[in-house]
Formats: sequence, structure tokens, C-alpha cells
Amino acid sequence: MNLVQWKSSFSLGIPSVDLEHREMIGLIKEAYQRLEGREEPAAIEAMLGEIHAGIAAHFALEERLMRESGYGEYSAHKDDHERLLDQIMGLMDDYANDPQAGREQLQLGLSDWFSVHFASFDARLHGVLIHPAATAD
Amino acid sequence: MQAKAVFSWLDAALARCFGPQLNPMNYLGAMTIFFFWIVLVSGIWLFIFFHTSVQGAYESVEYLTHQQWYIGGVMRSLHRYASDAAVVTVLLHIVREWSLGHHRGKRWFSWITGTPVLWIVIPLGITGYWLVWDKLALYVAITSSELIDWLPIFTGSMARNFLTAAELSDRFFTLMAFLHLIGLPLVLVFAIWLHVFRISRPRINPPRAVMAGTLIAMLALSLIRPALSQGQADPATVPQELGLDWYYLLFYPLVQAWGPAGVWALLIGLSLLLFLAPWLPPKSARKKVDRPVVVVDLDNCNGCQRCAEDCPYSAVMMQPRTDGSRYEQEAIVDADLCVSCGICVGSCPTATPFRQASALVPGIDLPDLSALMLREQIEQQSARLQASPQGSQRVIVFGCDGSAELKQLDDPQTAVIGLRCMAHLPPSFIDFIISRNHADGIFLAGCSNGGCEYRLGTDWTSQRVARERDPRLRERTDRAKLAMGWEQPWSSHTSPARGLAAFRQQLIISSPVSVRTEALQKKFWLQRLPLRAIAYGLFMVVAALFSAWPAFSLLEPEQAMVSLSISHTGQRIEECRKFTQEELNELPPNMRRPSDCPREKQPIRVELSANGEVLYAQTIQPAGIWSDGSATIYARFQLPAGEQNLTIGMNDSGGGADSAGDFDYYSEQRVQLQPEQHLVISFDAASSAFTFN
Repeated sequence: MNLVQWKSSFSLGIPSVDLEHREMIGLIKEAYQRLEGREEPAAIEAMLGEIHAGIAAHFALEERLMRESGYGEYSAHKDDHERLLDQIMGLMDDYANDPQAGREQLQLGLSDWFSVHFASFDARLHGVLIHPAATAD
Repeated sequence: MQAKAVFSWLDAALARCFGPQLNPMNYLGAMTIFFFWIVLVSGIWLFIFFHTSVQGAYESVEYLTHQQWYIGGVMRSLHRYASDAAVVTVLLHIVREWSLGHHRGKRWFSWITGTPVLWIVIPLGITGYWLVWDKLALYVAITSSELIDWLPIFTGSMARNFLTAAELSDRFFTLMAFLHLIGLPLVLVFAIWLHVFRISRPRINPPRAVMAGTLIAMLALSLIRPALSQGQADPATVPQELGLDWYYLLFYPLVQAWGPAGVWALLIGLSLLLFLAPWLPPKSARKKVDRPVVVVDLDNCNGCQRCAEDCPYSAVMMQPRTDGSRYEQEAIVDADLCVSCGICVGSCPTATPFRQASALVPGIDLPDLSALMLREQIEQQSARLQASPQGSQRVIVFGCDGSAELKQLDDPQTAVIGLRCMAHLPPSFIDFIISRNHADGIFLAGCSNGGCEYRLGTDWTSQRVARERDPRLRERTDRAKLAMGWEQPWSSHTSPARGLAAFRQQLIISSPVSVRTEALQKKFWLQRLPLRAIAYGLFMVVAALFSAWPAFSLLEPEQAMVSLSISHTGQRIEECRKFTQEELNELPPNMRRPSDCPREKQPIRVELSANGEVLYAQTIQPAGIWSDGSATIYARFQLPAGEQNLTIGMNDSGGGADSAGDFDYYSEQRVQLQPEQHLVISFDAASSAFTFN
């Protein structure tokens, strides 16, 4: 399992974004555990819907902050957000179409889904927001 | 209702020619601004060659028109025709917004600040006609002065300045040039700014194709029928007929017929009507605009700002958080600006129908048509559509809330759901319907003829579907299963029913929608090109036609004009009297003067007769709060050409005038009046005699 765990070093120093990151990680963890616990597909779907809504709102806020701070890698970061949103919708579709076959796929997908983005794109943003001078050029 | 019917017809006809995206009826305000740009550019050229003097004005305009016809003449014609076109588009804009009820409710501000633009544009045009100093200019000068003279602002009479060539000075042209070139344009720019500053992303420019088409039509018209002067201004004559620009001078003939007071009453009455229109009956019209405004739910708002960015009326703003949460900002709604269009709901990332664990409460929502209600409607309709015959294409139509035309589409395989605006629907709902198999296709009808009731709704929806605007429709969603009425040529020029039938056909063929739409649009563009050319031509013909036709008759045939123009100070009512020494002693030292001269003057009485028939007989009071100024007389009469025996008498000493012998001044003149002659009768105080010029 490759689920991302919250560390204080992930903090961007922006309370709202940090809060949402923490919540996102919590939600993904919960969904993963529910899948392991073989809960009803309807409950899992509902959980995924919450993740989708939460992450969409989180990305919207993060994008606003990136635009306001003139973040140079905004475009690539934004593209990755869109990719992630489409990806989770795909996972949700697959699960809705066939909960039995979709379960393992979803577990696999969820583990990588946000963590890769978090470790790469958000880490870079973190670098810029925490140490703006160091990455100015 | 009539106006609405006419506009629907015109709107539909133009949408048929231009397609929904280029329909000029959706860009009337922007087209007006485009015409102002043409007026500005051509005006700069004209100003370079224009002489601001009585002699030079007419000659310089003639030089531009004839010697420099290929550029100066074209610029002059563009200047005139673009000004006329601007009045047409302003009027159409006003009537259209009024007929659609857009002047009511929260939109009152745009109405109140928009309609006065007409009252700025018209004086701008009038001062422009004045500057040319041809016969029309002289008529405009005299009639405008008559209107202004009626107002209790100035004593004396401005109209008297234009009766004889000797009275006119170059200073006056400087004043007119200032008004036309700087004063009124500045006011106009301010008025336009005021008109649009409260709405977000005002549409300042029409589409390029529309600008190009209009400009080409206007250039062609300028070459075919250049704007011309109507002969140099000559105060000694009054033309029997003049070509009037009815767009600017519509009320001028009324000055002659009703007098200035009648015209002012009409203008003030019309202005009041326009001003109060947002609050006038019927009551039923007000209901629609009194819907509950959107509400923010802070538990679901993280301050992402998308709602504020998408609101077409700047009704949603961001402010520091008030609920003590760790978010920095929150959305706040200005109820005075919110028109309840729901576009902000469509932009909210939390307005997703996939939310099942928690209640579907977005960060911002319409209380009477919430996102939850929409999902419930979709699920209900979906259940109904499942019963549709095997093999049929189930379609959910999203249309205008309460549209009777769309309700008629409801059948076993079609469900109609009302929205406030197309952009009220979050893109995730489209995904929800397709991916969860609630229907085989979605038809977003949009407003008729490509217009958008809430300005930006169709733009935002198109951009969200094309993934150019947040929130974006998921890439994997099959666009072939989605049709947007305002983007599809086949649905714009047919009824929604035919558009739906065409869409259903497309669902069966299942060809990629973009390829089909592109091919259709290309075909449509080529097919409609001649029609568009005709539409542009017709518009310019309408704009140009009334710029000089029908001619206005100032005089009956074989008539001449006689103007009575006198400004004279009556004699003192009391003579000056020397103070006695006693009286002087009683006065404070600083007020001691040799004599006491009461300032009040006698009124003057004037009588004018022609061939024994009294034309004018009035007593005029002196001007000034102390009644010590001149009394001014200005009056005009039409007389038959031929011999006229004119007699005029004036009394300035307060005495009666029962016979010619009682006048202080008297003159009798036998004149031979020529047709169109303008004879001015005045009084020369230096020689104490009347003059007949």
C-alpha cells in the first residue's frame, strides 16, 4: 500500500490549503479502509462522491492561490488537477459499473491517485510558497 | 406585447441570416460603441481640415467633400452614417431590453444609466450639423436657440444671433467646436462607463465578422451616396425645403408647430417615462424579477472564488472569513445585484450530483431551484424515461425555467427540466446523466436566437464544455451526446422541436458532434452570405435613408419669412432727482451721492402690421430682477411673396398706443418680398430708427 501519510513538512503555510490536504488524505484513507472492510457498494460510491466534491473544491482553491501568487508552473499543475479529476471520475465509473471487479482496481487506483500528485506538484508548490526567493529563477 | 412580437420576429429573422453566434441583435450595445469608434476616427480626420470660423467652416467642409472626396468625403460620410447607425442601435437596444423586461428589478441601474445616452448622443449630432454651416446648420442654429431661449436660464434671446450675417461671430464656432469635440464626447464616455461598470465583463466589441460587415456596408454607402451639405448658410434667405436628419432632428419641426414649450413638455414627458419604466405596471412583470437570491453555505464554501468570477452582474464578492474557520475568504452575495440566474451554482465545485454521503448542499445555491432539486428531477425523469420504447433515444432537454414552448417537447422519450440559465447547470450534472445512463443525450436548449437572458450563460457553458473554463466538463464525456442550441446552426433557425429531432437523428448516427457541427456551420456560413450582405445593406439603407429624407418644408411655396428682432431698454419710470442737503446729511457717509436715480425701466410695446393686418402686438417687460434691463422681442412670421406694406411702432415711455401717432418710434415700409426671402426688422438705438434688412 502506498497511501500518503500527512507530515508536518507538507505544510504550505496556508492554513486553508493545509487543512484541505489533511482532510483529503483522511478521506482517501477512509475510503481505502472501507474498501478493505468490504462495505456496501452504495456506501463506497457515496464516499467516492464526497472525495470527488472535496478534491474539486480543494483544487479550485489551490488554483486561485497559485494564480494570485503568480506561480510559474500554474499551467502544468492545473493540467494535473484536471487529469486527477477525470481519473477519479473514471475510477468511480468503473466501480459503479462493476463493484466486484472494480474494488481491487479502485484500491490500486486510489493509493496512487493523489499521492503521486501530492509528492510531485504540491511539493514543488510548497517549495515556492515556503521559500519564494530560492526558486525565484 | 406588440413590441415583443416585433422583436421576436426581427430577432429570429436575423438569427436565420447570421446564425445564433453572430446575431447582431445580441450585440446592439457593442455595435453602438463600434459606431462611436468610427465616428471618432472619421471625426479626427475632419477636424484636421476643419476651420472654426463663419467663413471657413462651410468652405473647409466643401473642400473635404469634393476636392478630397476619396478620403475626406468618405470620412465625412462615415461620420454621418455611423452617427445615424448609432442612434438606430441605441433605439433598438432600448426597445429590445424593454420588450424583454430587462429594465426591471435588479437591472434598473443599467436602464437608468443607459437611456440617457440617447440624450447625449442627440445634442452631439445636433452640434455636428451646426458646425457644417450650411442652410440646415442655420435652421438647426435658429431652432435650437428658440428651444434654449424658452428655458428660464438666459435673459435676452440667443436666436437673434443667427438672423443676420453681421451678428454672427467666429467665437460661436469655437464654442460649438468645444461642445462637439470635447464637452459632449467626454460626457458620453462617462455615461457609457457608468452604464457598464457595475456588470462584469461588459461586451464592448461586437464579433469581428459583424464589425467587418457593417464597415464594408458603410463604406459602400459612403461612396454610392456621399453625405453632402445643403448650400452655404445665408441668413438673408429661408429655404422652402430642407433635408432633415430625422434621427437627430425629429423634434425640430415640432418647435415650429407646437412652440418650444410643447416640445419641452414632450421631451420631459418622454424622459420621465423612460426613467420610471422599471417601476411602472404591470405587476405581473415584476414577479419574475423578485425571485429569491442565491445563498452562500459557509460549511461548503472554501473561498475558491469561482462564483465571483462567473457572476455576470458582479453580485458575488469575496470577503474575509466570518465563521472562524481556517479558510481565508468566503463568498458574499449582494442581494441588490443578484438576478437569481444561478450561474454561480454552475461554477461551484461542490455542486456535484455525485455527492451522496452528505446532503447535496453547494457552497452557493438557489433556494427555490437548488442543486438537490435538480438532481431529484433528473432521477425522477430518468425513471420515467426508462419506460420509453425499446431502441428510442432518451433525451433530457434543459430549457428556460417556465418556457411553454419547451414544455411541449415532453413525451415518453423526452424529459424537459427547467433551469434559470444554461450555465446554472454544473458540468458534473452532464457527466452524471451520461455516465449513470440517466439518458442517451442531453439537449441544452439555451435562449432563443442565440441571445442569453443573463448575458454570459451561454458563453460560460460553451467554454465549460470545451474545457476552457472551470469547472470543466470531464474529458471522457461523449460530446456527441450533448447538443447546445446556441452553437448548432440547425437548431437556431428552426423550432426547438426540429432542433431536438435533428439531435436525436445525430444520436442514432452517433457521428462526432464537432465534425458534424463544423461541416454544418461551414455550409450554413456560405449559404447565408448573400442574406447577410442584404441584411447589412438594408441596415445601412435604413440608417442613411432618414438622414435626409423626407424633406421638411420650412415655408409654404411663394412665401417669405419676416423676423422681428428687437432688444431695447425702456425709459426710466422715474427721472433722476437731486438730493437736498438735508437728505444728504441723513445718509451714511459712504452712501452719499449727488442724485437718486430709480433703476426701473418702462416696458416696451411693439406692434407690427402687414398690409393693415396686425402680425404682432405685445408689451414686453424689462429683464432683470430690478426690471432695469432690456426688453427682448423675437418673433417670426410667414408672409406671401410680393408687395407688403409693413408698419411697425414701438412705445418705450409707458404710454398707450391707440394710434400711430402715440408711438414713440414708428416706421412704415413698402417692401417687395421675394419667395424664400428672410427680412429682419430691428431697432437701432443709436439712430432711434427701425431697420429692414
